[in-house]
Amino acid sequence: MENVISIKNLTKTYGKKRGVSDISFDVMKGEIFGFIGPNGAGKSTTIRSMLGFLRFNSGSINILGMDSVKEHEKILKEVGYMPSEALFYPAMKVSEVIKYAAEVRGQDCRAEAEMLCERLKLDTGKKIKELSLGNRKKVSIVCAMQHKPKLFIFDEPTSGLDPLMQNIFFELIKEYVDKGTTCMLSTHVLSEVSRYCDRAAVMREGHLIKLAKVEELLETSVKNVKLTANGEHKEYVYKGDINELISELSKKKIENLCIEEPSLEDLFMHFYDGKEGA
Amino acid sequence: MSAIFKQELKLNLKSLLIWALTVGGLGFICVMMYKSMEGDVMEMADSFSNMGAFSEAFGMSTLSIATLAGFFATEVGTVHGLGSAMFAAFLASCMLSKEEDGHTGEFLYSLPVSRWKVVTSKCLAVIVNLILFTLICGIFYVMGFVCLGEDVLWEELIRFLLSMLFMNVEVASLALLVSAVSQRNRMGVGLGIALVLYVSDITGRVVPDMKDYLFVEPFSFTNASEIFAGIDAPEYSIPIAAAVTIAALAAAYAVYLKRDLAS
Repeated sequence: MENVISIKNLTKTYGKKRGVSDISFDVMKGEIFGFIGPNGAGKSTTIRSMLGFLRFNSGSINILGMDSVKEHEKILKEVGYMPSEALFYPAMKVSEVIKYAAEVRGQDCRAEAEMLCERLKLDTGKKIKELSLGNRKKVSIVCAMQHKPKLFIFDEPTSGLDPLMQNIFFELIKEYVDKGTTCMLSTHVLSEVSRYCDRAAVMREGHLIKLAKVEELLETSVKNVKLTANGEHKEYVYKGDINELISELSKKKIENLCIEEPSLEDLFMHFYDGKEGA
Repeated sequence: MSAIFKQELKLNLKSLLIWALTVGGLGFICVMMYKSMEGDVMEMADSFSNMGAFSEAFGMSTLSIATLAGFFATEVGTVHGLGSAMFAAFLASCMLSKEEDGHTGEFLYSLPVSRWKVVTSKCLAVIVNLILFTLICGIFYVMGFVCLGEDVLWEELIRFLLSMLFMNVEVASLALLVSAVSQRNRMGVGLGIALVLYVSDITGRVVPDMKDYLFVEPFSFTNASEIFAGIDAPEYSIPIAAAVTIAALAAAYAVYLKRDLAS
């Protein structure tokens, strides 16, 4: 399958401070790719390096077959980016911001912008300074989608959006992806990854520690164990041979037992407890 | 690129009008005051021209303040010189940094336009703003002459305004460099540059030992009294101003094109 994003050995430092170290991964055409990690894990550094906001120290980033440094402007023509902070020029009206983004792109996006504003129930007559975070996010979505890009890059896209709008947002992503767009989204909301993403990369302290299909991430040898034995209730995450677990449990007088697949949240905590490396 | 240029003109329109109407309006009032002060000024002119360093600093020893040209050069020359330099510094010192300071950089720089084009569009917007500022102020000054029923000193006035415009461009290029280096708006630093340059010109005219070095700073070729008296700008002052402007702009481009942008 064709790679839309190909990152090889990306390293970015801020003076002596860590940014990301030796990151490598690919995002394939037509997939929705989740980028998971807590604050400071290096997700935004990676994304900002991809978009040319940061000059990285070493490695290479190839997007849509183009070098991110040499063909930066060409790449941005085909990318729809939504930053985590949806901030625009406060004195401008929503319609002016949307028009301005289209003008800089040199494209007539009026029809698509109108459709998006209608779906997102966005009042284009208001000034940016009058908008809530949720409504500014909607402006950001329109600016990222109106030119029908080949690649979406979203950084924490749903923060500030109400659940109804979150559903509409993911419906829109799916519609664009069905037409051939690829989507990379960075998020803390793991239910979004398990519901919408095909594959995901897990970041920790500037390193990529796991890259797999979402189903594979959920199908690990890690199990959630909820146990009531000898009048005592315990809940813990077990990693290892399931036969050994059963053998261990058989020695106890069990009153209640539940062994289940971990949620993505449990896995996330598992990775961040330092129990699993790349 | 033209969309960014137009956007900058639009965003700065209010500031331009406030500064131009204030400086131009003050200049107009100064010109209009000439008639009412004409008699008194005649009596004071000799005293003003014999006040040693003070007269030197404000050009009153070069041109009599009793004449309209002398009065204009002394009063409006000071108001316009200081006002226009401060406007140039105010405008340019935030031109690049405001995108990071206002967190709009991620929106702007995710659009398909190179940083080089953004900087160029913003530089052009600064220059056009300075030209419009000079034109608006110029109209006010001409109106002042006309309202007084005096002949407009076109040649001197145009030379004065063009010199001021060139000085404004030099101040703006230095302020733009500050803006390129910083991730936060540094309007205070920009205005500080304008004031320091102005004060250094006054000091240079007062302190005898510094007179020989006046040509290195931008106010040296904008002295209104010398312009209205037909005296040429100090030797090398214009080439030095051009070199400083080019060097500051080149440094601003070099820094801004290479550095990391704050989120």
